[in-house]
Amino acid sequence: MRIKEGYLLREVAGSHVVVPTGKATLDFTGVITLNETGAFLWKLLADGKTSKELLGALLEEYDTTEAKAKADIDIFLTKLEVADLIE
Amino acid sequence: MYKIAGLKVKMECSGETLLAQGEPYRTAVAGQPDMIIDISDETLAKTKESYPQFCFDEWEYIHKGFAFSYKLLEHSGFCLHASAVAMGNKAVLFSAPCGTGKSTHAGLWQQYFGKDKVVIINDDRPALRLLGDEIYVYGTQWSGKTNLNANIKVPLQAVVFLKQAGENHIERLTNKEAIKRLIRHSIRPNHDKGKMDALLTLLDTLLQKTPVYHLDCNISMDAVKLAYDTINKRMRCII
Repeated sequence: MRIKEGYLLREVAGSHVVVPTGKATLDFTGVITLNETGAFLWKLLADGKTSKELLGALLEEYDTTEAKAKADIDIFLTKLEVADLIE
Repeated sequence: MYKIAGLKVKMECSGETLLAQGEPYRTAVAGQPDMIIDISDETLAKTKESYPQFCFDEWEYIHKGFAFSYKLLEHSGFCLHASAVAMGNKAVLFSAPCGTGKSTHAGLWQQYFGKDKVVIINDDRPALRLLGDEIYVYGTQWSGKTNLNANIKVPLQAVVFLKQAGENHIERLTNKEAIKRLIRHSIRPNHDKGKMDALLTLLDTLLQKTPVYHLDCNISMDAVKLAYDTINKRMRCII
């Protein structure tokens, strides 16, 4: 599982924004904003980490329960799938 | 050679539009150019074949305008899709999707304050550059359909995103909302990740220095007054 090629994640004026570049501009026009957790997960997905690895990393980084973390990851991944951003 | 946005630009023009629009930007200054815009006639001819709705002349104007926008990113600058006015050595940018009324609103500023006080810096795509600590707005010959531009350099005061509405209302945007709109209306170097990164860095700096507003407006002097007073932090007085 990996974020598709060409998306650039940057922090701008305190917000995490994702902008498409290259071929990605043909599939996605516009801008995505992510909250801090979203940006954290996005970076892991850009490296091709599995959902199990996402869970481990999230539990290590944030003070949260496994159930809550799992639910958050599920929601995030569903959103990315709907937007056709992962392959 | 041309002097555009403070840069020495080497560009050969053959079409009437670009030659005429570029006239005020011509310079006799010699030496190394800061930027070379080199798009061959073959490239333009090819584009025209694929998109015959524009003539060669128009394609030259469009192509070279985009080339300038992209290369400007190598010089701490970018172009924003906006109508830019200058008043009292301060520049205000009105941005919005095509057809919203950027030019109309800019024109109202001229009517309200007088053409001697308000100058249209660029009616479609002003250039912005970070020089030292300050962001400056420049006119370029790429001003869209109206040919309204001036070869001047004015410090940026505010950016205002416009939306047509029955009632006038203005509010300052949060950084999060402002950044989305600024990215959307910037001329983006879609095929160059490094330049896209440079654009986002410039927008980050812009947001640290410049207030960004959203203005719901109708076509009236009241809209001008509301925008002006808000940007200049004046209380509105009832006449």
